[in-house]
Order: sequence, then C-alpha cells, then structure tokens
Amino acid sequence: MAKSEHYHKADAQALLDDRGYSGSLIRGENPALLFEKGVRERIIQSYYFKEQCFGLNAASLCDRAAELQFIGGTTGINGKPTSFLCLAFKLIQLVPSKEIILEYLNFMDDDEGYDSDAPKQEIQDPNALGKAGEFKYLRCLAAFYIRLAWDSVDVYKTLEPLLPDYRKIKRRTKDGFLLTSVDQFIDDLLTKNRVCATSLRKLRSRADLEDLGLLEPRESPLEDEIEEMDEDRDDGDVVMMEESDEESS
Amino acid sequence: KDWDDDVEEADINAVDDTDGVDPEAEYAAWKLRELKRIRRERAAIEEAEAERAEIERRRNLTAAERE
Amino acid sequence: KQHLMAIGQTGEVRVATVQEVRDRLRWIKRKRREAQKEEVIDLDARLENHRE
Repeated sequence: MAKSEHYHKADAQALLDDRGYSGSLIRGENPALLFEKGVRERIIQSYYFKEQCFGLNAASLCDRAAELQFIGGTTGINGKPTSFLCLAFKLIQLVPSKEIILEYLNFMDDDEGYDSDAPKQEIQDPNALGKAGEFKYLRCLAAFYIRLAWDSVDVYKTLEPLLPDYRKIKRRTKDGFLLTSVDQFIDDLLTKNRVCATSLRKLRSRADLEDLGLLEPRESPLEDEIEEMDEDRDDGDVVMMEESDEESS
Repeated sequence: KDWDDDVEEADINAVDDTDGVDPEAEYAAWKLRELKRIRRERAAIEEAEAERAEIERRRNLTAAERE
Repeated sequence: KQHLMAIGQTGEVRVATVQEVRDRLRWIKRKRREAQKEEVIDLDARLENHRE
C-alpha cells in the first residue's frame, strides 16, 4: 500500500466535496450520505464537531467517546446534534477497520502489566458475556456505526450478542433525557427505521438470511428457561418473574 | 466545556445511569425486555411459516388442477 | 481548522492501528481508575446512601 493511504484528512472537507469524493466507500457510496443532509450540515457547523472532532483518528477518538454521557440524535428546536452523533459522523469519515470497530465494541482490559490495588469488582452476572465493552457509550457508538456501515449479516452477527448487555444509558431527546439500556438501544438498531436522527437502511430479514444459510437462528441466554416455560404454557409474565426470583436467590 | 453548554446539569442529573445499584431489579427488567423480543421473533417466524405453508398449498392446488 | 493548517499542520492525520486503539483505551481506563481512587472515600459514602 502506498504510504499516503495511511492518512486521513483532519476535517470533513474532502468528505463533503461536491467535486468528487475519493475516500473509502461504504456499499459503494460516499459514507457521508448515510446521514441526512440537514443533520450533516448541522454537525459540520457544530462547535463540538469543529473543536473536538478535528484531527481525530481512530485512537484519539477514544478520548472523546469515553467522555460521552449519553446517546442521542439532535436536540432542541434547532435540532442541535449531540456529541454522540458528531462522533458517529467522524467515524463515518474515518471508516475504521473492522478490527478497530470490534475493539471499541468489546474492549476489555486484561490488566496486563498493571497491578491495581483498587478493589476488583467481581459482580456475578448471568450475562457477563454480553457485557464486554468497558465504556458503554463507546460501545453504543460502535454499534450505531456498525448498523450504518456494515452489511446485514454482520450487523446481526455482531449486534445480537450485545442484547444481554443491560447496562443503563442515558438518551438525550429533543427536550431532555431518558433512561434506557444498551440492549434496548441495540434492539432499536435492529428493528427501527430511524434511530438518533438518522434513517437506517433496511436490514435484510433475519429469516431470509437464515434460509440462505448465512445466519444461525439467534439463541437467547434465556432459551433454556423458555423451554421450561413452554411446558406449562398459558402463563403470563407473573410466572416468569417468580422464576427469575428463584434463580437469582 | 463550551461545546456542550446547553446541557443543563439538572436535566442530565435527573437521570441516573449508574449500574449495579439494584442488580436484581436491573436483571429482571432486562429479562422482561428479552422475553418480549423472543416473543416478537417467534411471532415473526410463525408468520413466515404460515406464509410459506400458504404458498405451498397454492402450488399443490395448481398441480392438482393440471391433472 | 484553518489556523492549524496555517501554523504548519498538514491537515492530515495518521491512521491509527488496532494496537494504538487498544493502548489508548487501556490508558483512559487507567487514568479513570486513578481518578476514582482519589474519590473512593466519597464514593463509599454515596454507595452507603444508595443502600438506604
């Protein structure tokens, strides 16, 4: 590879150049088009994008992403883009490698070369597997990017394993903040047409991809429990809740 | 942080995203969401199967008619 | 920003490697943990409040 290919433009000028864009493509298109025009313009004009996203690469972007306190699209009457959306746009500009996106998504410190006297929190968690990704908002950012940029099969394969991650997150709305969770956000990405002020491309249906042998059926961590429940059907949520109590005690 | 100057501290602090405050409740709430998802997925599968069965039925009809 | 280019920056940023991303995240985590350590007493008090 030529050396010049290892550099990004520091700003978004090239990305938005009408005379022709020559960077990485996503599904054969200028990735900036994944965002709507109005939103795109407001992102580029926002202070956050200009001051905080200028000159970032995939590594220095982590500094900003680790500071995120909420997800969200646009806010207020002017539709001001959130820092979350600005960073997503930056990612669209950088088009980081799959490995890097997966690192954002699943980063776990293995404590190599670091001995800490801080107390280790060993929370017994039945869904610990779904909870890699030390920085939950970075994880959401990566997930959002994956939904925008990757193909359907990879979206299912990569995002569905995050559904057991029930950590709480804040979502900024037009006029305030809501409490939601990582799994809910992932579910939105998989099922909704519009998330964070961005229209999502239609995913190919899971059933079709299964028929083509490209996907295995999704297996929920609750699968075994559900099988038990199926044996005594006609019972509603109340019974499920009782069962979960028994289990956790 | 002037770029985020419109975030009202009171607004953002009104929502608490600290994990592990009540692990059992957090798990139970997730479980409910997950069960809803599974139900939704199953309904979709059943719908697809019904559709397929219907197509199959029609195909058989035309085959029978041909005879 | 224009002025950054004016003072000699090329307007280009080196593409990061996976290893750099990983190291960066480790570093952020470490820094955060150190900051937390200083707050540990304060945090304990807050957790105590939560339990009530």
